[in-house]
Amino acid sequence: MLELRAVRHRYEGRVVLDLEQFTLPRTGSVAVVGHNGAGKSTLLRLLALLEAPTEGRVVFDGTAVPRRAPASLRRRVTLVEQRPILFRGTVRENLEYGLRLRDVGRAAVDGLIGDVVERLGLGPLQNRRRHELSDGEVQRVAVARALALRTDVLLLDEPASSADRAAAGALYRALAAERAARPFAVCIASHQLEEAYRWADDIRSLADGRLSPVTPENLFRVDLPAGDGVKHIPVGTITIVVMTDRSGPAVLAVSPTDIFVSREPLPSSARNVLTGRVTGLAIEHRGAGVHVRADMGGVELIAAVTAEAVRDLALTPGGSVVFSFKASAVQVF
Amino acid sequence: MDFLAEGLRRAWALLVAGDSEVYGIALLTLKVAAVATAISCTAGLPLGYFLATRTFWGRRAALTAVNTALAFPTVVVGLLLYGLLSRRGPLGGLGWLYTWQAIVVGDVLLALPIAAALSAAAVQGVDPRVRRTAETLGAGPWRAAWTVAREARFALAAVITAAFGQVVAEIGAAMIVGGNIRGETRTLTTAVALYTAQGDFGLALALGLVLVLLALVVNIALQVLQGRGNA
Repeated sequence: MLELRAVRHRYEGRVVLDLEQFTLPRTGSVAVVGHNGAGKSTLLRLLALLEAPTEGRVVFDGTAVPRRAPASLRRRVTLVEQRPILFRGTVRENLEYGLRLRDVGRAAVDGLIGDVVERLGLGPLQNRRRHELSDGEVQRVAVARALALRTDVLLLDEPASSADRAAAGALYRALAAERAARPFAVCIASHQLEEAYRWADDIRSLADGRLSPVTPENLFRVDLPAGDGVKHIPVGTITIVVMTDRSGPAVLAVSPTDIFVSREPLPSSARNVLTGRVTGLAIEHRGAGVHVRADMGGVELIAAVTAEAVRDLALTPGGSVVFSFKASAVQVF
Repeated sequence: MDFLAEGLRRAWALLVAGDSEVYGIALLTLKVAAVATAISCTAGLPLGYFLATRTFWGRRAALTAVNTALAFPTVVVGLLLYGLLSRRGPLGGLGWLYTWQAIVVGDVLLALPIAAALSAAAVQGVDPRVRRTAETLGAGPWRAAWTVAREARFALAAVITAAFGQVVAEIGAAMIVGGNIRGETRTLTTAVALYTAQGDFGLALALGLVLVLLALVVNIALQVLQGRGNA
């Protein structure tokens, strides 16, 4: 329903976003993953109709959006920025802001705000002001302020970056509850892959402003058989051993830091031991870490190790390598 | 020192007695200043917001022009305006020369750059996320501007105070295009200059005190307003 077509967006002459096509389905939940600076926030600003792309078109419900999007159209989309800001006034006044703009009646405002306040546990915060809130609380209020508007499209830029684990969980549960109650499109930008896997039914990877054909690290769509405990799941030509009670369609994820790298298979408790060839070494984290990319017979896996380990193991592209990880290290989403 | 004390005593007596000339001049000054401040801020604040938030070709030049206009000598403005309003000038037909309206026009020309430049600075001081957030929540341009203005309210109140201060204390333009006509265009500043020149130090001092009091009252009033909208 919300689409970018042949979009090329520049800041000060530099291309920051270059997308042939990006579609947000009417009731879809899309996660956009990528490193900082990959263009995620720019993408969301274009989708929020705050900026017009330097080249290309934004299409909403089949109609091209004019360069200065009318308020009537912008009111169908809302964005929560990565570091959201609250306006002067109480939390309650902030929650009311967008509803007042839409001339929503007093009783309806109370109802809508009551819902989000309850969902996000903001009851005790309603009369506080922004300087009396933690960063995580500000983020929650900002998400609530957006949710209360019941827009057709909700865009969230790193919505849980300031929240602790429990608060992030609450935030996503609120989002899931809202989506269960009312269909709308969600697009979440995140660099925390785990978060993205859990909430999205489509994950897109952005690198240097382009959609990357490479799926995010060590991510596999599978169909889990019924039953409890240890399962052997075929993934392409390899088999991944996983511990789960779940069945049906799922996503398996192996964190690159949970993979042991060696030259020979080592006797260990790891149930997953895969032999393959190094296809690439990418330096990460200012030279201290290295991402070892390896082809395990048609399936690519990435392991994160230290530069020191790469030296000690004499890893070179084309050389043989063994990746090992425990069945319990495989996360199921 | 004696004449200073004598002047103060006379000033006090005039103020207490409710001297009609003193109060007449004070009222005219207040009227001129209020109208000029209202006009220059009504135009200057939106202009400042526009300069601070929009990117357009020539924006930097416009900001420089406004900032330069801050230092425009008041007598030069008076002189230019005199040329425009004099009978032979292009605006001579208005018949505004030596009227309080002419003083208002001069004051607006002087206070407008202050209102625009300082409010542009005030708006630039507001976190850019405020406007963006207002827009993401569905605000149109006016509502977004209002939201930004609310965040910058202290700085914007200072802008109004500064504009009023410029207007109420201005003498060059008032003298030239107002003509300092008794009962018609004699403002506090032009009167102070005149009576000092005539040697009536007590009257000049009384008017000077009124001028200071006027500035004080307006400042206090604005501060009270700010306090009410606190937090």
